[in-house]
Amino acid sequence: MKKFLAVVMALAMVFSFAACGGKKGGHADNELYVGAIGAATGDYAVYGLAVKYGAEIAVDEINAAGGVNGMKIVFDFQDSQGDPESAKSAYGKLMDWGMDISIGTVMSGEMASVTAESANDDMFMISPSASNDTCISASSNAFRVCFYDSFQGTAAADYVKATLSGKKVAVFYQSDNDYSIGLYDAFKAQAAVNGTEIVAEQSFTSDEKDFTTQINTLADSKAEVVFLPIYAAEASMFLSQAKNGTDNAVFAEGVYFFGCDGLDGILEVVDNVSTANNVVMLTPFAASSTDADVVSFVEAYKAKTGGTVPNQFAADGYDAVYVIKAALEAMGVSKSSEVSGAKVAEAMTSLSYSGVTGDMTWTADGNTQKLATAVIYNDGVDTEFGK
Amino acid sequence: MTVFIRTLISGLNLGSIYALIALGYSMVYGIARMLNFAHGDIIMVGAYSGIVAVMSIGLPPIVGILLGVIVCALLGITIERLAYKPLRQAPSLSILITAIGVSYLLQNLALIIFGPEQKAYPMFSGVKSFQILGAKIDGITILTLAVTACIMIGLNLFINKTKIGKAMRAVSEDKGAAELMGISTDRTITVTFAIGSALAAIASAFYGATYVYILPTTGSMPGIKAFTAAVFGGIGSIPGAMLGGIVLGLIEQFAKQYISTLWSNAIVFGVLIIVLLVKPTGLMGKTIQEKV
Repeated sequence: MKKFLAVVMALAMVFSFAACGGKKGGHADNELYVGAIGAATGDYAVYGLAVKYGAEIAVDEINAAGGVNGMKIVFDFQDSQGDPESAKSAYGKLMDWGMDISIGTVMSGEMASVTAESANDDMFMISPSASNDTCISASSNAFRVCFYDSFQGTAAADYVKATLSGKKVAVFYQSDNDYSIGLYDAFKAQAAVNGTEIVAEQSFTSDEKDFTTQINTLADSKAEVVFLPIYAAEASMFLSQAKNGTDNAVFAEGVYFFGCDGLDGILEVVDNVSTANNVVMLTPFAASSTDADVVSFVEAYKAKTGGTVPNQFAADGYDAVYVIKAALEAMGVSKSSEVSGAKVAEAMTSLSYSGVTGDMTWTADGNTQKLATAVIYNDGVDTEFGK
Repeated sequence: MTVFIRTLISGLNLGSIYALIALGYSMVYGIARMLNFAHGDIIMVGAYSGIVAVMSIGLPPIVGILLGVIVCALLGITIERLAYKPLRQAPSLSILITAIGVSYLLQNLALIIFGPEQKAYPMFSGVKSFQILGAKIDGITILTLAVTACIMIGLNLFINKTKIGKAMRAVSEDKGAAELMGISTDRTITVTFAIGSALAAIASAFYGATYVYILPTTGSMPGIKAFTAAVFGGIGSIPGAMLGGIVLGLIEQFAKQYISTLWSNAIVFGVLIIVLLVKPTGLMGKTIQEKV
């Protein structure tokens, strides 16, 4: 019995080595295998699918134009349902498949669960949308396209200072959510630096649906800007209760509701698009932009999805694939077996890329440096705000 | 003063919704001696029925609410027949677990049918607001208070004056003796479930009007709070459920306004613990002598 067990263990080891060694040898040198992980089903599918479609459009465009230095991109998106554990096994599957380079995972939790392993495998990853401050710190080869959370809080405070200077600011945040707290802390710290006065702070927890007292307190504070570092679903509840039907808004007219990327997609969840009037959202991507690249991306995305307007996640996914292309072209890599995570990471720090989410450069810790712009919603239409 | 009045009114509004749900919990417990944990999810079903009736079929809102009431009453009867009736002689723990199972069944069915995204409840938009002593009061709040008060009076009359009401009281006091007197326990329990679920449907209309968005998990938190309210007021007692719901809503809103939004739930449940320590049967519960 012991002997049998020993043989089984030995075989298992041989196979696991074989799996590790399989990374570069599995396919032709003129094919570049790009992997991605995210939710294609389940509660977070709305984010995962947006990234998937965005990335697929980029892959098709690049292949039609001759590929990356002659390498044709083969793209595989593994479904994790947004679960960090499933993301781990999805990563293993992609490695067995022969992944050369990765656009990482869609969500921060998933990213945190695969970065350590990707560092061991010398795998380069650029996540479109994992925004948690520390989720990429386990690997020096992990980068991102989106803002990181505390940067957004700081940027929001600066934006408020620049465009709504001298107005009284209040904050409404979710006290049991990492994203919300992270943004709130960064916003508060930067507001203090900027000399912006915060006149009221109110919070709620995830099981709470009644915001009446918070809304009244915020309205009583005579705040002219309410900072909302929360997600679209909660923001829609807040706004609907604040507007209270149609004729009797609790807040005075002209009060701005200022949010970050969490508010993305708010028009799809509100009961009536006018509920989102005066919502200002800090975003690197505005589908309404007249920039030629953005217009062509929006058209392609609409054609692919039957008319859906791309959100920030889709744009991030699209840019992530193009950033990989730009980095490999800058390095002059034309054989997929020569792709090294550490070398790509090194090249990233001197790369600058202008995509649909703005002009980007990267620091060695993997964070993006790009400008934040804001849009304002009015009757379901977004226009650039404060520029 | 304005802030005080405003908090009072919003507390009464929230409390009325709790009270409507708590009435169902309390009636079912009083008569069938079981905790129907699926009761909260009936609210969710009622809200979705309203949404389907108004948004998809295009019926006027009031018909949508009535339809919700009918759907919920039928659902309550069906659940009782299929899940609880076969277990009538089983230990109460088995029934409790079954109720939790039914609750998850309803939530997951809604998840499959309506998806995880929130849906907006369309009714009552355009109800005017009032000014009372400088505080702006929503018309829906007044409507909620008035309807809840009417229902509570009507239910009390029903229990105390009608034949079925008398049967209900008899079954709640002594099931065996009631059956010997020719009262059909099964039929009485069925009626109880139907009324409780119909009240939950009315609560769902007010919930939708106040909080707008409905999710498959919408019923669970109000369900737990209403159960708390029922225990608080003395489970099995109808005025107790009403009082418990209102008091709970008031404590919650005043705690949020004057103490801390972070602590409001802790305060609500803290008060419950204190009340139960001092008066284990709840505010209006009767002390029942155990027969040995």
